Amino acid sequence: MNKTAVTLSLAVLLATNASANSLISPGPQSKIARSSLSANPSTEWNRLSERGGKNVEIWTIDGDELNKVTFFGGVPVGEPLLKEADKKHAPLPRVTANMLITDIPAILESSYRIQLHTMRMSIDNQEPTTVGGHKGIKFTYSFVREDDEVERKGEAVGAFVGDRLYLVTYEAPAINFFDKDVDKFRQLVTTLKL
Amino acid sequence: MKALLVRAILAAVAAVAFSPASAQNNTTALPPYVPAYEPRTVDERGQWMEADEDERTLRDSPLVIRDEALNAYVKRVLCSTVGQDRCQGVRIYIVEVPALNASMRPNGAMVVWTGLLLRVRSEAELGAVLGHEFAHFELRHTLNAFKRARSTTDVLAWLSVLGGISNTDTSMNRLLLIGSFYRFSRDQEKEADLLSLKYLAASSYPTIAASQIWQHMMEEADATAAGRKQKSHHRYSAGFFDDHPTDLNRAVYLAEAASKAKGGNDPATAGYQAGIAKFLPLFLADQIKLNDFGGTEYLLGQLASAAGWTGDLLFARAEMYRMRGNPRDLVSAAQFYSDAIKAGYTAPEARRGLGLSLMRSGQVTEAKSALTEYLRLRPDASDAKAIAALLAY
Repeated sequence: MNKTAVTLSLAVLLATNASANSLISPGPQSKIARSSLSANPSTEWNRLSERGGKNVEIWTIDGDELNKVTFFGGVPVGEPLLKEADKKHAPLPRVTANMLITDIPAILESSYRIQLHTMRMSIDNQEPTTVGGHKGIKFTYSFVREDDEVERKGEAVGAFVGDRLYLVTYEAPAINFFDKDVDKFRQLVTTLKL
Repeated sequence: MKALLVRAILAAVAAVAFSPASAQNNTTALPPYVPAYEPRTVDERGQWMEADEDERTLRDSPLVIRDEALNAYVKRVLCSTVGQDRCQGVRIYIVEVPALNASMRPNGAMVVWTGLLLRVRSEAELGAVLGHEFAHFELRHTLNAFKRARSTTDVLAWLSVLGGISNTDTSMNRLLLIGSFYRFSRDQEKEADLLSLKYLAASSYPTIAASQIWQHMMEEADATAAGRKQKSHHRYSAGFFDDHPTDLNRAVYLAEAASKAKGGNDPATAGYQAGIAKFLPLFLADQIKLNDFGGTEYLLGQLASAAGWTGDLLFARAEMYRMRGNPRDLVSAAQFYSDAIKAGYTAPEARRGLGLSLMRSGQVTEAKSALTEYLRLRPDASDAKAIAALLAY
């Protein structure tokens, strides 16, 4: 009886640990967002237990409202980027076959407008880049969410590899926070591997 | 079966709407109006203080559209509806939210969402909605509701009855939560609807416009549901907890009231199109990003039935098809972009969309020629480098 109780409480402890936020130390990190994505950050990050989607992982330094890196690790054709908050009334756009790199910012924008109520969002600059050796796109954007009306900026890299969408975004308030940490994100991006 | 029932009731609405008007009676008499009204009781002063604070937040919101001409135009429609003496004190804030809503604070601040401006088809319809909101203000509904239930913290929203139409989950909506005190009862909604009709009756706009809005809302909800392969379900009576009458109910009693007091003859459809023309591309761009294919197709069809398939409408339709991106959609998108260019749509983005649609359809040579043309016309485009990379693939 006692043994069962101990086992149960251990199981609960383990489960709690598994779902808590965790520290990401500098050094190689693999299987990010439960995918083949890996990176080698040179600074500390925190991984949030909240994921936002099946293929999603979120890292932050000071909290996700202040600086947030989101990894979308290989979203397959037919799936939305984020877990749909209201599938019936507010379904999100799906990844479709043959998408071009310029469709990556478009699907992110549409998903944000629907799910995060970003009534004002603009994709600012789009240029080609490579993501872990694959042809992709680097873009910047800015948006205002309706719930806090803070003006935020974003920067992202994305690519389609084998009909799956890989996308890594960095978002922070335009005032102070974006510039403060954007170099850490850019360093992270240079180490991305698929 | 339900569809049949809806049709039968709509037919009844139409019959009422177009039946000969009965003799004008005193339903058109407007209540006396007091200009520069000041709150009189403790409750009311408290509400006005809260509303003033909300309005200061609203005034500084980055989502407010500050274009002078558009604001003046919407104000003019309100004034034409409720009368010059009544409208002067009202401050209108046009907020960029692509869903149908308008609301009124007890201190005379009115919020209009851009989704409303996209959906109404004439000055008369806009006037009917603005008049309805103004009626809440004039009838001091907030105060009465507050007295009735001080603990009420629910939300005022036209959306609450529109459900399926909107993609916007209002539960997180700060702009709406600001209005948390300002919830009205179903009786008050009906009262406001009918006073709004009296304003229309005294204006140059036809009163039937008020009923038509609700019919279009039902049609759009049906189109949205069909587009998502869902059943449409209109409700025929409001539930116990609903604070608005159902759309169908409103369409019926408004049409009935309209047959008794017809108002003017000119809904000012052309005037309305001219009034929002500058902002139509923005409203459309916001709408097509909502992933509501059926509802948006219906809206575009409605707009086209009034103004014809203009370049703006064709471009928006093409963008929506390209965004959904099924192979057949890409073919349609390419066609609509070409049609838009033929219809005189000069923005280079039509070439961009055409090129991208063709590229996804595998027509690489034609795609490259359209994209090259885009880059020639817009060398400084924010995506010029990405498009150039696609050309080089």
